[in-house]
Amino acid sequence: MRKDFNQLNYYEMLDLQPNAVPYEIRHAYNAAMQLYQPGSLVSYSFFSEKERREILALIEKAYQTLINDQLRKEYDDELVRRGEIDAKEETAPEVKKPVSVFHISRGPTARTVFVSSDALKDRISQSQVIKDILAQSVLSGQDLKQIRTELGLTIEQIAEETKIRVNHIQSIEEGQAQNLPPAVFLKGFVKSYLKCLGLESVDELSARYMNTVSCLK
Amino acid sequence: MAHVWPIGGGKGGSGKSFITSSLGRLSAELGKKTLIIDLDLGAANLHTLVGVPEPKKGFSDFIRKKIPLLQDTVVETPSENLYLISGAHDNFDVANLPYEQKLKTLRAIAKLDFDRILLDLGAGTSFNTLDFFLISQNGIFITTPEPTSVENVYRLIRSIYFRRIRYCFNITDFKEMETEADRQFGEGSYNKPDCLMKVIARTDPEKYLQLKNEFSAFRFKLIINQVRKHDNISLGLQMSRMVEKHLGLNMEFLGNVAYDDHVHDAICQQVSFMERYPYTKTASDLRELGKHIVESVGKQLTLHYM
Repeated sequence: MRKDFNQLNYYEMLDLQPNAVPYEIRHAYNAAMQLYQPGSLVSYSFFSEKERREILALIEKAYQTLINDQLRKEYDDELVRRGEIDAKEETAPEVKKPVSVFHISRGPTARTVFVSSDALKDRISQSQVIKDILAQSVLSGQDLKQIRTELGLTIEQIAEETKIRVNHIQSIEEGQAQNLPPAVFLKGFVKSYLKCLGLESVDELSARYMNTVSCLK
Repeated sequence: MAHVWPIGGGKGGSGKSFITSSLGRLSAELGKKTLIIDLDLGAANLHTLVGVPEPKKGFSDFIRKKIPLLQDTVVETPSENLYLISGAHDNFDVANLPYEQKLKTLRAIAKLDFDRILLDLGAGTSFNTLDFFLISQNGIFITTPEPTSVENVYRLIRSIYFRRIRYCFNITDFKEMETEADRQFGEGSYNKPDCLMKVIARTDPEKYLQLKNEFSAFRFKLIINQVRKHDNISLGLQMSRMVEKHLGLNMEFLGNVAYDDHVHDAICQQVSFMERYPYTKTASDLRELGKHIVESVGKQLTLHYM
């Protein structure tokens, strides 16, 4: 014979699985209320007033317990002790990660670890060529390229680090006015390029470059 | 052996006779030799619904021993494969069948040679209705989505439950159990079959086990009739869940039958609703139910306790 309603455990009362999630618990609670609340057609005349009150109180208690993480855990522990449910393995729910829509193969050289800025500064201070270039009053694209090659960096590395497109970097280095992006963007690009090379006084240098380029026009 | 489907439902006017006749017709159309028996003794009118306004013979002839064999009281109906034992023109005391007559009838029904037998039972919870309901494990309850009707169905289910327990005991034992239940579970508990079962579990474990097995063998069905558009369509599912959870009886929800004014028209014109209005929602609901009747399998009669 089936058990009496007041001897069911909270999961059985609400027709839930022991691993139910809060959404399911709320849903089950609503469904149970539809059955047992006074005035429900389903349970009309099925219970006496007293029985109905008892059942509603039990359902309320079941819901309040299961929806509260702390109380539910204690209750689960008790059920496990009584042997009514199996102990749950404590695994954190798997966190959903974004899934890439496109699979872009970047090739083996694409992602290399960028040289740390400290190492770059060391190299800059040791290199005579760079000092000479920086001492000039003009700064052309050719000069930038020279600094870059002196530091042993490739255009792709710069592009990866600064997120500036490769063709923009190329035209910055070539300094051809017709290929350059509009001045507003150019200034920003040059700044982040210089920062990426590990140079100091970026603002001043980029102004120098802009002057040099506008002279070419 | 025939598959017997008692159809009852407590409240009058919920459509028991209409559904019985429609399901009978459907099952006959699908090629099963089908018999419908009007056991709404004292208020019979199934014959009118299946187009036999004046049956030559009927159930009362069998009771009054005018016709010795039940199978000879069967009359044909205009529909092919569909047969009827009518309750029309019964004498006025047939509504209260004595126990021996009832046993005789139940045995006779069990011997009839048909594929499907549908019993149209009357309203109320008279012993006639309860005993005929207990003839099969597949009793169908019909209710409408109204509190009055729902109340009567629950009442009928409990009465059947009660009646079955009552069969197992003689009157003194039963009285004793009732007082015992009252003592243990409070005033009025003798009226709750589940409380009685608990008493039996302790006092007579053997009988308890037997009863328990029998109750778990029941496969009651539920049909919600006259469902209007705005009614709660999951009422049937919720009711069967209720019965399973709180009474421990198996109950399967078979389906809703939509309300349709054309049913009234068809009955007034004394034609088959299914033929006159085949493309209504109600008709398609009934066809769905008819499939259940035809495809039914499994053990059928549970007469052995009588």
